Amino acid sequence: MGNLIKLFLLFILATLVHWAVATVFSAVGISVNVMLSFAIAFCTVLKPSFGYPVVFLCGLFLDFFNTKLFGGNACTFTICACLLYTLADRLDFKEVATQAVTVFVLVAAASCLNSLLIWLFASAVLWAGIFGVLVGALLSACMAPVIFWTVQKTLTGGAMCKSR
Amino acid sequence: MRQFLLPAVYLSLSLMLMVLHLEGVVVSFKAVLAYVFLPQVRVAHETTNYISGVSDTVKELLDTHRENHLLKQEMEMNRLLASQAQEVLAENERLTDMLQLSANHRWKGVWAKVAYREPTQWNTVTIDKGARDGIAVRSAVISMKQGKEGLAGVVVEVTERTAKVLLLRDEEFSAAVYLDRGKEEGLLIGAGTRPLRIQYIPLEAHVEEGDKVYTSSSSSVFPAGIWVGTVSKVRQDDSFQTALTVQVEPAVRPSSVKEVFVISEEDKQ
Repeated sequence: MGNLIKLFLLFILATLVHWAVATVFSAVGISVNVMLSFAIAFCTVLKPSFGYPVVFLCGLFLDFFNTKLFGGNACTFTICACLLYTLADRLDFKEVATQAVTVFVLVAAASCLNSLLIWLFASAVLWAGIFGVLVGALLSACMAPVIFWTVQKTLTGGAMCKSR
Repeated sequence: MRQFLLPAVYLSLSLMLMVLHLEGVVVSFKAVLAYVFLPQVRVAHETTNYISGVSDTVKELLDTHRENHLLKQEMEMNRLLASQAQEVLAENERLTDMLQLSANHRWKGVWAKVAYREPTQWNTVTIDKGARDGIAVRSAVISMKQGKEGLAGVVVEVTERTAKVLLLRDEEFSAAVYLDRGKEEGLLIGAGTRPLRIQYIPLEAHVEEGDKVYTSSSSSVFPAGIWVGTVSKVRQDDSFQTALTVQVEPAVRPSSVKEVFVISEEDKQ
């Protein structure tokens, strides 16, 4: 129960930070995805049975404000979670470099995939440009260690979390 | 294979959402949930605005600090200019007095400024005009005090561009003078730091404090009628004395001489 409340508070924190950062960087065409960084961090701590729904909801949260496509971010976030859980045994997410590289790759891939889904399902183009995507991924990677540290320090033990 | 079951469920769910048309119930559902999360979005926006406001405030503070520094420098400069302006005003006042003298006096000569004053010999000054301006040795030098001219000294050395003036308080200075009241003549001599005095005034002469003293026509150096000063004290202490001792307060204080008028030798009357 304690972890559930902590998880909810972390989710609230993620939404606040995501919108604050997005407000600053979207003005200059840079696509920073803090919510995905949080979702990735959740996957490194939570068991898949809790991780998937949380990540799905994180994506769905962004979809509530998306005017082109509903469910696109949820789909992208779920694919990212699937990749993470598949590779979880091979990666050490306590390493800062691993955290940063993972976030960089997944944020860039998610931006591309999301644009592709919007094009496929909504016949619309929503592309930040290669510069915006890469710089956004880089900024997200820079913030990743802090996000991972916050999530890993907050969510410890209990039935929801993986055994360490 | 079981590990992909869960993501497959969520992927299917998201695909179902994506194929839904964004209209009717879906739009309402989205709107309601967006409305639920709106406070968070607003808080995030306000936080961002506040933070950007803080950076603006810091920038303004830094600008103000820099501006303050510049204004302080400007104030220092203004103070300096004000003091310079005051000096110029004082000079202007003196020069205006001199212009009045130029218009009224009956002598010809040149105006000069005190260029140098001996630090150890305050009884002589060097002026910025010399032989090329018509100044010669033994030329009379006058200066102004409150719009009236007074004897300042005599030229003792001349170079091409400068001249040295012996001021009247010097012990080597002397001039034939007369007293305004009884027209008695005497010899004015400098006495260094002590007051000027007139010698050879007969004992029976009627002399009072406040009597004015002028240069005499019997002087071979100074033109007649230049105001020298005012009698400040008359002494008759010793019984065997044959003359009065008359102390004179100079019309022009030697220490305040800044601009002078040097009377040309040939125009002396």
